Amino acid sequence: MSRPPRIWISNETPAPGEIVRIRAQVVHPMETGFRFGPDGQPLPENIVTRFQAMLDGELLMEWQPETAVSQNPYIEFTFAALRGGLLRMVWTDDSGDIAEAEQEIVLAG
Amino acid sequence: MIRRRSLLAGAPTLALGMGLLGRSALAAPVALTSETTLMPRSGSGPRIVVCGGGWGGLTAARYLREEIPGAEVIVLERNPIFWSCPMSNKWLIDVVDTTYLTHDMLAPANRHGYHLVQCEITGIERDRKLVRTSKGNVDYDFLILAGGIRNAYDAWFGDDRAAAEYTRTHFPSAYIPNAEHLALKNKIRDFKGGTIVMTLPPPPHRCPPSPYERACVMAWHFKTNNIPAKILILDPKPGIAPIGGGYRAAFEELYPDIITHVPNAGVRELDPWNKRIMTEAGDFDFDEAVLMPPHQASDMVFHAGLIGTDAEGRSTGWADMDPRYFHANSDDSVYIVGDSMGAISPHFGHYPKSGHVANYIAKIVARNIGQRVRDQEVVAELPDNLCYMLVNGDPREAISVEFLYDVGADGLVHQTQIDIDVRTPDLLEEDFVWAQGMFDDFLR
Amino acid sequence: MTSFAEIDRRKLLLTGTALGAGLASGLWPGLGSAQQPESSAAPQPDDAEADRIAAEFLGGATPAAQGLVLDLPALGDNPAAVPVRVHLTDPLTDTVFCEELIVLAQRNPRPLACRFRFTPLTGSVDVAMRLRLMESMGLRALARMSDGRFLEARGEITVAAGGCGM
Repeated sequence: MSRPPRIWISNETPAPGEIVRIRAQVVHPMETGFRFGPDGQPLPENIVTRFQAMLDGELLMEWQPETAVSQNPYIEFTFAALRGGLLRMVWTDDSGDIAEAEQEIVLAG
Repeated sequence: MIRRRSLLAGAPTLALGMGLLGRSALAAPVALTSETTLMPRSGSGPRIVVCGGGWGGLTAARYLREEIPGAEVIVLERNPIFWSCPMSNKWLIDVVDTTYLTHDMLAPANRHGYHLVQCEITGIERDRKLVRTSKGNVDYDFLILAGGIRNAYDAWFGDDRAAAEYTRTHFPSAYIPNAEHLALKNKIRDFKGGTIVMTLPPPPHRCPPSPYERACVMAWHFKTNNIPAKILILDPKPGIAPIGGGYRAAFEELYPDIITHVPNAGVRELDPWNKRIMTEAGDFDFDEAVLMPPHQASDMVFHAGLIGTDAEGRSTGWADMDPRYFHANSDDSVYIVGDSMGAISPHFGHYPKSGHVANYIAKIVARNIGQRVRDQEVVAELPDNLCYMLVNGDPREAISVEFLYDVGADGLVHQTQIDIDVRTPDLLEEDFVWAQGMFDDFLR
Repeated sequence: MTSFAEIDRRKLLLTGTALGAGLASGLWPGLGSAQQPESSAAPQPDDAEADRIAAEFLGGATPAAQGLVLDLPALGDNPAAVPVRVHLTDPLTDTVFCEELIVLAQRNPRPLACRFRFTPLTGSVDVAMRLRLMESMGLRALARMSDGRFLEARGEITVAAGGCGM
């Protein structure tokens, strides 16, 4: 089953300077490497190690989760809408898997 | 009286045109005795009686007919119409209409070749492999109990039937289809303002995330119609679960002036006449209420004498059954499907009591009975579960929770829970795709 | 869009849930005795490792106790997903922004819970996430501003008993 990241944006057409809030969640096991599998062997670590949000091609913020971050990692962040453009979010895990989501932000007025 | 006389007078005339009917067709209905047979056996295949024509029962009937073409499958259902509890919160605010929830049950019965009898189950005699109903007795080779839940008002009121009946009729739970849903919808429509309390059943109970969804859709209705309403969710749990984050965000951002969630608020005492409720988190007066009592396995499981007991010998209120093969521990000709099912694993307790799980388990049980009839090895299978919950009416946004199961190194069933707390419109679209897939599966 | 779907669903972690709260443990009398451990995760015995990470982040500077806020629930009823929010109280200016932020769960097996990097384009620092916590413990957030200042916020959280799936 394909599970796209879930994105919620407080306002996709913010006024210039308005604080925009983003919620983003992706389905991922966030396997810590501490747990044992059914065969008694440790399950290999597999976590999302990087989340990046880019606006109009420039980095807005980067989040680097460690093993303490819950499975299906949820991240909420804000930014001041100083410009419009494509908001692009990319999750990368330690096995090289990636997930992406995009949303066009248009400044009002 | 006139009407009745003219009907009686007309009866022989009508019957004249039905030459094929014997003389006895004109006689009064035969009085029911304790030994009246509901339906004589036909064919040489096994007879499987399914008690309850809901999500689990109708699914079991369809797949039993596919799995064992020679089987005689009889569904006993008390409701004359299928009324879906899943999706009914959305119906409260007209996201879907009544025709979306209600379905004809004869069409799937005829298509798949099972019998559907509208009757009340009045007793189960397992030593005779016999079910007693309001229309006569029916014997079985395999029995499936798929009756859903019962509202355990006795847990609140003991044997005070007057208080239980007053509560049920004035502040209906609307957790079992179908007339109470209409009562609840009318209550919401007619509410002019004040405090509504909503008591949540303690776990395990049917469809755990749905009372919070109900609070959201009610709050949305009050908000958009400028009705000065407060909704107090009295929750026996220490926090909102499942999808706690998603619900919390919805309560705080969408309905901050309407919804208050009160944790650790198990009901201690209830005075329905004076509209007062005493809980472990304090006492509350209310103008209106949706009083959802604790849930237990449906009455038929009690009739069958298959309710479990815990280590101290107390009733669990749920079926005593094998967690991997779903038959009663004391009787492997009786299967329990859906919400009545007992605990599955010490890791998480019960499978979620949802339509999705009932549908899934029903298919597994149909396959397992088929394997037994064909003398094959019975293969244990695991379900999954999926729920979508509408939290916002405009824009229409939903959150969701998914449960996955596997068998761990300890030989026990483990559960993985995936809460999707970010509310999005596409989750509601997925919900409709899911519901249509389900309806197509067992109601077509 | 995503390739995480390839991940073996059956290997997903267990999550704590209130759904089974009504379960009578007496139904499985053998449980908990002869079971093999499910995890090798062990809590930190003290805050020394967290202090070491904090000292490395601070590089000798002393953080201000104002300007950064750590919001925690009164009780972490689900230790597998404790909501944690960190935000700056003073508005950011064109010249001063937050460059880096770390969150420490001081008694977790690995106390560094996560790290954030921001840019002048961010313009606002208010983040929230969910952490799994091994036991009741102190949490700490540290921020490095572009003008060389450091800010700190601390909090304590009590989590409900029960494995958090680490």
